[in-house]
Amino acid sequence: MDVSQYLEIFIDETKEHLQNLSQQLMVLEEEPENADTINEIFRAAHSLKGMAGTMGYKRMQNLTHIMENVLSEIRNGKMTVNADLVDVLFQCLDALEAYLDTITQTQDEGDEENEAIIARLNAFLNGEAAAEPKATAKNEEKSNGEPAEKTKDVKLTEYEARAIKEAIHKNMNVFKLEVYVDENCILKAARAFLVFKALEEIGEIIKSEPSVQDIEDEKFELDFSLVIVTEKDKDTVKAAVEHVSEIKKVIIEEVKNIPDVAETEEETKAEKKDAPSTSVVASTAKTEVAPKAAATTTTPAKTVGKPVVNRSVRVDIEKLDILMNLVSELIIAKNGLVSVSNSEEGTATQSFNEQIEYLERVTTNLHESVMKVRMMPIETVTQKFPKMVRDLSKKLNKQMKLTISGEDTELDRTVIDEIGDPLMHLLRNSADHGLESAEVRAERGKDPVGSIFLNAYQDGNNVVIEVQDDGNGIDVEAVKNKAIEKGTITPEQAEVMNDKEIIDLLFKPSFSTAKQVTDVSGRGVGLDVVRTKIESLGGDIEVKTKLGEGSTFIIRLPLTLAIIQSLMVEVGTEKYAISLGNIQTIEDVPVTDIKFVQSKEVINLRGTVIPLVRLDSILDIEPSEEEVESLTAVIVKKGDKQAGLIVDRLIGQQEIVIKSLGKYINNNSKIISGATILGDGEVALILDANALV
Amino acid sequence: MEDNRIEVTSTQFIVVNIGIEQYGIDIKYVDNIVRMQKITRVPKAQKFYRGVINLRGEIVPIMSIRRKFELEEDEITDKTRIIILKPEQQEPVGIIVDQVREVLSLDSDNIEKVHSDPKDEKSKYINAVGKHNGNLISILNINGVIEI
Repeated sequence: MDVSQYLEIFIDETKEHLQNLSQQLMVLEEEPENADTINEIFRAAHSLKGMAGTMGYKRMQNLTHIMENVLSEIRNGKMTVNADLVDVLFQCLDALEAYLDTITQTQDEGDEENEAIIARLNAFLNGEAAAEPKATAKNEEKSNGEPAEKTKDVKLTEYEARAIKEAIHKNMNVFKLEVYVDENCILKAARAFLVFKALEEIGEIIKSEPSVQDIEDEKFELDFSLVIVTEKDKDTVKAAVEHVSEIKKVIIEEVKNIPDVAETEEETKAEKKDAPSTSVVASTAKTEVAPKAAATTTTPAKTVGKPVVNRSVRVDIEKLDILMNLVSELIIAKNGLVSVSNSEEGTATQSFNEQIEYLERVTTNLHESVMKVRMMPIETVTQKFPKMVRDLSKKLNKQMKLTISGEDTELDRTVIDEIGDPLMHLLRNSADHGLESAEVRAERGKDPVGSIFLNAYQDGNNVVIEVQDDGNGIDVEAVKNKAIEKGTITPEQAEVMNDKEIIDLLFKPSFSTAKQVTDVSGRGVGLDVVRTKIESLGGDIEVKTKLGEGSTFIIRLPLTLAIIQSLMVEVGTEKYAISLGNIQTIEDVPVTDIKFVQSKEVINLRGTVIPLVRLDSILDIEPSEEEVESLTAVIVKKGDKQAGLIVDRLIGQQEIVIKSLGKYINNNSKIISGATILGDGEVALILDANALV
Repeated sequence: MEDNRIEVTSTQFIVVNIGIEQYGIDIKYVDNIVRMQKITRVPKAQKFYRGVINLRGEIVPIMSIRRKFELEEDEITDKTRIIILKPEQQEPVGIIVDQVREVLSLDSDNIEKVHSDPKDEKSKYINAVGKHNGNLISILNINGVIEI
């Protein structure tokens, strides 16, 4: 079976399951008795096993299978959760992640068997697992090795019969199901697997015919039989199965009496086509077949009683980009109309203006809604951090806890994809360099458990992410000495630098203050990479720190990258756009007010000394000959720094679509961040104020 | 007939004038030919890039072949055209030519490969010379010309 076309779905879903697994394991570590968590982990492992099996990843399947065995024992109270076990389960998770990585890269799972982990899991099983087979009926089936070529009659083994008996005694419902898959269904095994998954959410499948393994390998025709023990009623079970698409029909019947072992059930085949039927499973009650449509009234979601994790719609990013481009064009068209109306002032009628206003409203809305589609909660990135911090805590032998807030803050998809690594760097930094060891913390009268906070929130047109720790803070003197030692700065320079400038040195390439290089951090490739990445996303990063009390890294990112509000200016005969986000004010500067500091032009604006940047000379434009009395300065800021950009003329505010200049044109100076198309079809370049300040 | 002469081994070229020479551009690289239009200068870019234009909503960089080949400055006339090249798997780029003459099919017999001289930077711009009615046409090595 060619499954390559499902690879993408497989990878996505596996990621989701692994994520879930990781979260639940974290919970399990805290609350080893939590039955819900154990069930959740079991389900995740089982789903992974099924999916890996369908895709033919045997090693992955094998590992998850053994995990499932262990979890099943726990679930049935045969084993208790201890720290060792959680550790092994975390190792399993890492191993599964490694499989997934390999699959993502090569489509093949590789040949890592993870024997060590499997051996440890088996040790748990052998050491503590009681030889009670009933609860592990599913595994039992496999070991029984029932041949696949048996008829559709459900033959129950002694164990299974006993399980049913016990369930009935406990007033649980036992149902026998005959599930028919639509004959047009392409991926029968996957559908069957979904049925299994749905049923396992509401009860326990104690028997399947053909065996689970065969069904997963697609060794069945169009139907299969199941026996399920559940607390739910018949309709719920039926609805759960019918909720799976491409399932043609479900025949369900309650098993009230204890079935005799290996008693055959009369052919259900004959009933395949007609609705109500009576089937004879060891002289049981009647069978009910309701039409599919009727059953959908009971939604399984309600009865499952668990929130469905992450209901996401997967949209191909390419499709979104196309949509985005269309919107861009619409905006260009709008700008065209605007420029026409401006040029023929006399002829423009009122309705024409109304049309433009309407068009403007539409494009703005469209823009907003498309942006929303592209937005993803930052949670998708932060999810993996608790596990990472846990691992770090073990590795560094420091106690720490991570508190995340504002995970639902949304960012553009492109930003989300890129922001993971920088945040990871910062968290590692905090864990490794920031937090002190427990002894030092105790000495300083701090909680021995270090705290790391990750806060995200929206601030105007920006999203702010803060990584904060209550550790040692940055030792400015140490940084200074290190910088001098490394030759980054001279002692004389160090004398005149303020603390902020010195902390800024941390972001220089190859600078690390960790006294020891660990495999967590300290190789000096951290912070400069973080800064470069964040700046490439159009954001910036700053640090606040207090020695002995901790430090906070503050990342500011733009909400969106593709369309911005800008101020259009003219320099010489050329038009340039400056992002409105960077602009503070626009000032008229009388030439007489210009002072010189270190032979550079500055102005004193309401008490602040602001350097002036002559755009014409930076952009290689012939300066105008005219003698002017005052200059127009656009005051831009970057962090705490400001600069006044001297322009010849202001054109006005405009919403512009950012286009890349492409890779041919060498843009080393970085003063041009892109280009945009104006209403008249002309191209204007976008100035990056950050590079000019 | 012209058509009958097209064999499997023949290649179509767009023949253009740049300065006093004739150059051939393999038609498979040509995306479009547009009239000269306003080019927005990009400060600090390489000298031979005159800037960028808007080609139906796309920003396309425009190269001056004359500047690249170190010939005299472009002379913009009615016949000046921009040829938009689209090399495989790459972004489009435009080159300015003095005049587009014709589309020509050349048999492989009439194309003589020239080997580039590693010492001469400019020799990698041409990868063959075509012969047609006694005229010589230098075949541009597109990847060599637009190389970053």
